[in-house]
Amino acid sequence: MIGETLTLKVAAASAISPSLRHLRLVAADGGKLPPAAAGAHLQLVLNGAARTHRNAYSLISRPGARDAYEIIVRRVPSSRGGSAFIHEQLKVGDVLEAGWPGNLFAPVRTARRHLMIAGGIGITPFLSYLADFAFGGADYALHLCCREDEQHVFDPWLAGKSGVNVHWDADGRRLDIPALLAAQPVGTHLYVCGPAAMNDEVLELAAAAGWPASHVHCEHFGSALSGGEAFHAFLAKSGIEVSVGEDESLLEAIERIGVKAPCLCRGGACGVCVTPLLDGEAEHRDHYLSAAEREAGRLILPCVSRARSGRLVLDL
Amino acid sequence: MLHSDIKSRPTYTQLEPDLSGSQHLLIIEGDTVLPGRLDSLAGTFAPVEENLHTWLVGTQAGGLGLGKVWRLPEVADVVDAFACATRGYGIGDRLYVQGTEPFLWSVAKAAAIIGFSAEQIHLHHAGSLRRRVWCTHCHTVTENVTTSIASCSGCHRHLLVRDHFSRRLGAFMGVMVDAEAPGEVPAVEESFA
Repeated sequence: MIGETLTLKVAAASAISPSLRHLRLVAADGGKLPPAAAGAHLQLVLNGAARTHRNAYSLISRPGARDAYEIIVRRVPSSRGGSAFIHEQLKVGDVLEAGWPGNLFAPVRTARRHLMIAGGIGITPFLSYLADFAFGGADYALHLCCREDEQHVFDPWLAGKSGVNVHWDADGRRLDIPALLAAQPVGTHLYVCGPAAMNDEVLELAAAAGWPASHVHCEHFGSALSGGEAFHAFLAKSGIEVSVGEDESLLEAIERIGVKAPCLCRGGACGVCVTPLLDGEAEHRDHYLSAAEREAGRLILPCVSRARSGRLVLDL
Repeated sequence: MLHSDIKSRPTYTQLEPDLSGSQHLLIIEGDTVLPGRLDSLAGTFAPVEENLHTWLVGTQAGGLGLGKVWRLPEVADVVDAFACATRGYGIGDRLYVQGTEPFLWSVAKAAAIIGFSAEQIHLHHAGSLRRRVWCTHCHTVTENVTTSIASCSGCHRHLLVRDHFSRRLGAFMGVMVDAEAPGEVPAVEESFA
């Protein structure tokens, strides 16, 4: 089991809604899996018909579990192929390659209280939080904002858990985010995971309500972030020119031609893939570089960011 | 001695209201208030006066324009008020403290225990430079140290008072100055009057 990557087998797969598929993955050799803590994610290598996708999904299995990893995958209409592959082609018994679990969204242990706001499938990291908090007796509240018809989809993981509130777009059921944020006691940590517009709104409202930045945590979905206009990149160290298509990321293009590039979250959050930019202007889409670093224009996160100038020269 | 090459040495700021805060609590050590200071603070904090609460610690008259004013006898009462807080403090609240370093850190520690983060606490040094010193040998805290070398109130060693500061203890580090050559104690200076 010990290696750079994990080899996993699909032990069970089920549709929990028309657009959500639940997967249970076990070690292909029947051994034990590396444990992961609350908030961790798993990067799967998905060999689709057209090309290979590497997508990261939050683990919803009980933190520390070593028998299986569980994920829930939303089928995205504008999918570049990863979620469509999982929904249409993946079957029980199939074998997948995966990275070791990574964690960029762990709950803060010194928090007095945990306030979680989830948008739709953004609930997945919080399902592992809830399993974790159930042991520790932590003070928490989870607010799930979802479509009305999906309000019961996550019940199997929420059953018996206190502090869970479900909201949807109807009178009397909407979440009053400003009121919620204003009512939190000192020592609370806020975690938000949902669509980009919701994340941005919550982050803005928290700042306006005086939340200290160190108490506000956000996990963005990486999907659909990486597409855009096609461009070229020149890898200076390898001496290779690569063309990046409209629906693939710079990182995926680099991997496609066989150049090894380190990465972890593939969503512009962790900074593991940060690469020196020797020439060209980048369109930064990450959440990692500081404003000053973007301004300087000497670094790029190839997992999400693209070219503004038509051609980039990377020190790779 | 408010600036040092030692990285752990805290730096302090002027007090100004953080307009993103929701409730504002100003805590002032009375002994460190110079004439006109409270009026000047009232001017500075005027934009948030509606949500301002001021605790004046020690015998200090005045406080007009500083919102709702409480008078507390000493710093131990501030620590108690936080420890027994029945009133909930909010995640958007801001705390501003003026005083000597032992006062600032007694208040900051008590606030941190009930959940205030460092970003919510603004500290302004005023008054004496006297230090609280923690003996690295017997772990006793000696209060009101104004000299560069002080006798530990626990083990009576001669302690060199360093700029190394512990936010957890709210104290400076004191290490035995004549450990190598017993009895050879350098000249004592009044460094922190």
